[in-house]
Amino acid sequence: MKHLFAISLLLLRQEKRAFALGLALAALVLAMGVALLSLSGWFITAAAAAGLAGLGALFNVFIPSALVRFLALGRTAARYGERLTTHDATLRTLANLRLDLIRGLVQAPYRQAERLRASRVLNRVTSDVDALDGLPLRLVLPALAGLAIVTLSTVATGLLAAPALGGVLLVGHGVLPSLLFWHGAGRADKPARRSAAGMQAMRSRMIDLVTARDDLAAFGQLRGARHHFMQAIRYHHRARSALDRFDRGIGFTLEMIGWSTVAVTLALATQMVRDDTLLPAQAAIAIFAALALTEAVAPVRRAMEEIGQMRRAASRILPMLECDTAQRHDVSLTAGPVELCGLELRRSPHGAPLFPPLDLKIAPGEMIAITGPSGCGKSTLLLAIAGQIHPHRGHVSLAGHRVETVAPETLARHLAIVPQRHALVAGTIAENLRLADPEADEAALWQALEATNIAHVIRARGGLEARLGFRGAGLSGGEARRLVLARALLRKPDVLLLDEPTEGLDGPGAARVMVGMRAALPQAVILVAAHRPEEIDAADRRLSLSPLQASH
Amino acid sequence: MPTLHPHAQKIVTRARRRGAHFSAAANLLWIPQAAVIAHVLATFLIGGAVDPVGAGVAVFALGLMRALLNLAGQRALVRAADLEIGFLRRRIARQEAATLIPSRIGGAGALAALSTEKLELLRPFLLRYTPARHRVALVPVIILAIAAWYSWAVAVVLLIAGPLIPVFMALVGWAAQDASARQMEEVGSLTDILTDRLAALSDLRLIGAGAALGTGFADATEKLRARTMAVLRIAFLSSTVLELFAALGVAMVAVWVGFSLLGEITWGTWGTPITPFGGIFLLLLVPEFFQPLRDLAAAWHDKSAAEAVRAETETWDNDARENLTGSGSPARALPFTGLATEGLMLHRSGDRLKFPDLQVAPGESIALTGPSGAGKTTLLRLLAGLDRPTGGRLLLGDTQLAETTADQWRASIGWMPQMPRFLARSLRHNITFGPPLDPSLTDLAQLSPVQSSLPRGDPTQLGETGAGLSGGEARRVMLARALHHRPAVLLVDEPTADLDAVTARDIIAGLLGHVVHGGTLIAATHDPNLIRALSREIRLGE
Repeated sequence: MKHLFAISLLLLRQEKRAFALGLALAALVLAMGVALLSLSGWFITAAAAAGLAGLGALFNVFIPSALVRFLALGRTAARYGERLTTHDATLRTLANLRLDLIRGLVQAPYRQAERLRASRVLNRVTSDVDALDGLPLRLVLPALAGLAIVTLSTVATGLLAAPALGGVLLVGHGVLPSLLFWHGAGRADKPARRSAAGMQAMRSRMIDLVTARDDLAAFGQLRGARHHFMQAIRYHHRARSALDRFDRGIGFTLEMIGWSTVAVTLALATQMVRDDTLLPAQAAIAIFAALALTEAVAPVRRAMEEIGQMRRAASRILPMLECDTAQRHDVSLTAGPVELCGLELRRSPHGAPLFPPLDLKIAPGEMIAITGPSGCGKSTLLLAIAGQIHPHRGHVSLAGHRVETVAPETLARHLAIVPQRHALVAGTIAENLRLADPEADEAALWQALEATNIAHVIRARGGLEARLGFRGAGLSGGEARRLVLARALLRKPDVLLLDEPTEGLDGPGAARVMVGMRAALPQAVILVAAHRPEEIDAADRRLSLSPLQASH
Repeated sequence: MPTLHPHAQKIVTRARRRGAHFSAAANLLWIPQAAVIAHVLATFLIGGAVDPVGAGVAVFALGLMRALLNLAGQRALVRAADLEIGFLRRRIARQEAATLIPSRIGGAGALAALSTEKLELLRPFLLRYTPARHRVALVPVIILAIAAWYSWAVAVVLLIAGPLIPVFMALVGWAAQDASARQMEEVGSLTDILTDRLAALSDLRLIGAGAALGTGFADATEKLRARTMAVLRIAFLSSTVLELFAALGVAMVAVWVGFSLLGEITWGTWGTPITPFGGIFLLLLVPEFFQPLRDLAAAWHDKSAAEAVRAETETWDNDARENLTGSGSPARALPFTGLATEGLMLHRSGDRLKFPDLQVAPGESIALTGPSGAGKTTLLRLLAGLDRPTGGRLLLGDTQLAETTADQWRASIGWMPQMPRFLARSLRHNITFGPPLDPSLTDLAQLSPVQSSLPRGDPTQLGETGAGLSGGEARRVMLARALHHRPAVLLVDEPTADLDAVTARDIIAGLLGHVVHGGTLIAATHDPNLIRALSREIRLGE
């Protein structure tokens, strides 16, 4: 609940004024609804009393009837305004939450950000964020507006009718639904969590069934995989049924609390009229208010089913929004060597070392090829040099500064890694390139594209404004490869780390790209995790990593 | 819409209808409740005495009946929803586990989304929209009849306001739909944009593009927000029209009743002036005339969501896909006395592949070579019983590959695809599909470095990306899996592609180990080291 509260504050604070306005309008809508019904009830009852007493001509009909029409039109207008204001604020908030998430993850430890590449993790993060979408609109605002209007109606009924009747409304529409909510929110959690787990199991088993279908068929496991999915269906069904039963129970209780409140109000008002302590028209106000307030309580039921999911989502998302605040220094890393001192890396904290301790000094303008069998730690070494993961022993320094003490922004200005995957996003070629340098002009973009031998392809596809689909869809593997290499060049890094840069290119193409990159950055330290002769031949020196076999 | 089984359809329809009836009946109970309240207030006015307990108990008892009817109605509707969703889900699982041809709605992600959260969208539709539609057809008509019995003026107000609402809503709804369709074409949803950026995030921050990524995202979402608000401004008008008419209806009735009771208005009834009871009763009933329409409007979104899901399910269902030969269950392996093909060919989407006849004796090791596109992978898939040939036949000893023998055929064969794929289960399950690992296998496939690199050894859960296994490690796992059930024939596709020299040597040693133990091997490859190590080469595409 703590996390949910923190996220609610975070969301509401960013659009404070819009939400305050929305809340005021929401309360106004409810208040006008209650007032419309109560006033009409009073008006008719009072009019009937006056008519029966033969005083019809003396009764002031103008003000109440005008007020009824005003409330009818005003409520509608307020409702429209409320919906626009709160939706606009919510949309802004949702965008802000996602932006905070991106900013938080940009600074998160590399291993955490890296996990997002698995679509299971990515799905979970996006569905968590989606779950929080309902927080302002379906939980916080209705709860605040509902409580405000119940309090207001209590006071109004207490003043216009009788304090005891106001008390009945407060208990029946305020206190009891709130207690039910606190009680129910905890109890709904277990079936809601199970239902979500069942859903997750179905999703993951369907992904397995479809992606590994050939293999499952070849090993006679297709029917087994189907059975496995069916088990998840049954599990989810059981949890979902429990949740539905619970939800029905809550709905029933809420409805009965409402009717009990109306019944008690009616009985109490009747008794008071009989005792001559209340006028019939005053009784009408209380009874109609009791009926109208059920609208304010209705969102409780829906919120209860969602709150468990929101709470879990909040506890997972909140830590991702927090930024690393360790002291780092802004220094210049230009024209300095890269040094590895007794560097020792492990794949996991308790795993075996990947290779014997490394000592190496690389001067500006030098290109080094790192070679070794797959799994020997070439990519891990590049990540350690970039300061993305911490070495087990020893350290890396760039131009004399230990990499872990350099501010991330500084590091990003001077150093770039191009990993094996092609990180492209939906948008134009130019937009994708300018992620590396938002200031770059068209000439600079074309220059980088020329260096990686891809300019002719881009020209043929319609130039820099040609659009790519989600995740860069529309380019072949080799084209995407050369595009991300060109993008790295745009940063003009002093240290460039390339992980198997020419994968997917033919031999002569690979050689041209290696030469082009070197020529584009004559003074940079370039390290290449290499496995092709073209990459190794382009380098000045070679660092061969020999794996340490695990002692089993 | 894929039709349910007639029997299931009957149960679903019955449950749905029952739920809708209960829900309408609960709504109609408001009429006696309103009568009790109007009676109490009217009796006050003529100075009569009302029993407070009796009035309270009457309203409470009717409320209890309402709540119970709602409860029963919900139970029936939930049952209908469970049946329909469960049926479609099982059907998707059965169909997807019976074919090897990808669905045209997309890959694993699309199918996982359809079978899980998208089908769940049918639930709010069945639970909220269906009963609301039923109530709209019933409740306003009955209230209109009651109103007409008391006063033709009130009936006229309702008769004008009621039918006008759907007309205006439809007009506004069209405008909104048009605007939102235009928006959908231009930009994807917020989730799509976020997914796209998050997937690239870990790599983009390595080139220092983190800040630019945030800025780009902020621009994209701001554009999306502006467009969405343009749609919402129109869309909310439709519910505003509804509320306006409902509020005006209530206000007009209240004012008419008030003036009539005062004696200011003498028209609008069937002769006798309206009584205080009649006036209060009408005022209580009128909001309930509009309520079903408001419920229906609130559930409108559920309907369009459900329609989109049904359309997608239909697209999925109309995809006539060829089924896998056999069932894909475990079976006893056939005795192996040689493998042969006769006149094998495959025509698919314009491609015509004709394969040379093969005769493979036990213990042989064969390299399938040829330029890419010559059909090496296709031939392996045909031999593994993963594709149906358009012509010709396949023989394992004397047994022809057919519907009844396919499972046994595949049980005799070991399969190692070029692209390693992992199930979201333990390393052990990914190799043996259940039983414990055989230590001799661990040696043959050089698996121990893989086991020791995982934090918890072979019970470690792998994900689709293999929990960080490198390409070479993944290939070792694939080899171990292919060898685990001791197949007579091993079919492998480019086993050494993209591997470093050490791993490639280990994989070749593993494959040859299988041959040394008397196994048969067919490998599609262009690796000269592997071709040299095998006993025979068959070139395709010549």
